[in-house]
Amino acid sequence: ILPLELIDRCIGSRIWAVMKNEREFTGTLAGFDDFVNMVLEDVGAFSGIKKTSLAQTLLNGNNICVLIPGSSGPDGA
Amino acid sequence: PAMDKPKREAILDLSKYVNTRIRVKFMGGREVTGILKGYDQLLNLVLDDVEEVVELPKPHTRILGLAVLRGPTITIISPVDGFEEIANPFAAQE
Repeated sequence: ILPLELIDRCIGSRIWAVMKNEREFTGTLAGFDDFVNMVLEDVGAFSGIKKTSLAQTLLNGNNICVLIPGSSGPDGA
Repeated sequence: PAMDKPKREAILDLSKYVNTRIRVKFMGGREVTGILKGYDQLLNLVLDDVEEVVELPKPHTRILGLAVLRGPTITIISPVDGFEEIANPFAAQE
């Protein structure tokens, strides 16, 4: 399985992104580029336990460590 | 589903780790283990049964499932099998 193919198959579904630092983002994957910068919709941004909701966001791929397709994130909502 | 090219430039041959559990450490201090299912030349990885080893507030693991690990932030890759913790050789003796 190629990693970028797995991300591509996730377009249209929920994805959970874990950053290098203590931040995580969940959202519906609209698309991504060669550097895995991602466009997400209906986003939950988690800093520790604090959650903020965002509409459409561009997530900078520079700090992404782990991507979990089809997941609702740390609170499993 | 590309055929593996016979000439690999990668210094680590990941094909020998496929379907084994590996430990991956990231910039920023995160550490996960998982079963290697796929990879690419940029060192992005596909791991299954991923568990993250979290140190704070207390050491525990959380289950992440099937995940893509981003090559640019990976620092260390090692097999879980054949890994053992030893006493700190650098610790000052009292």
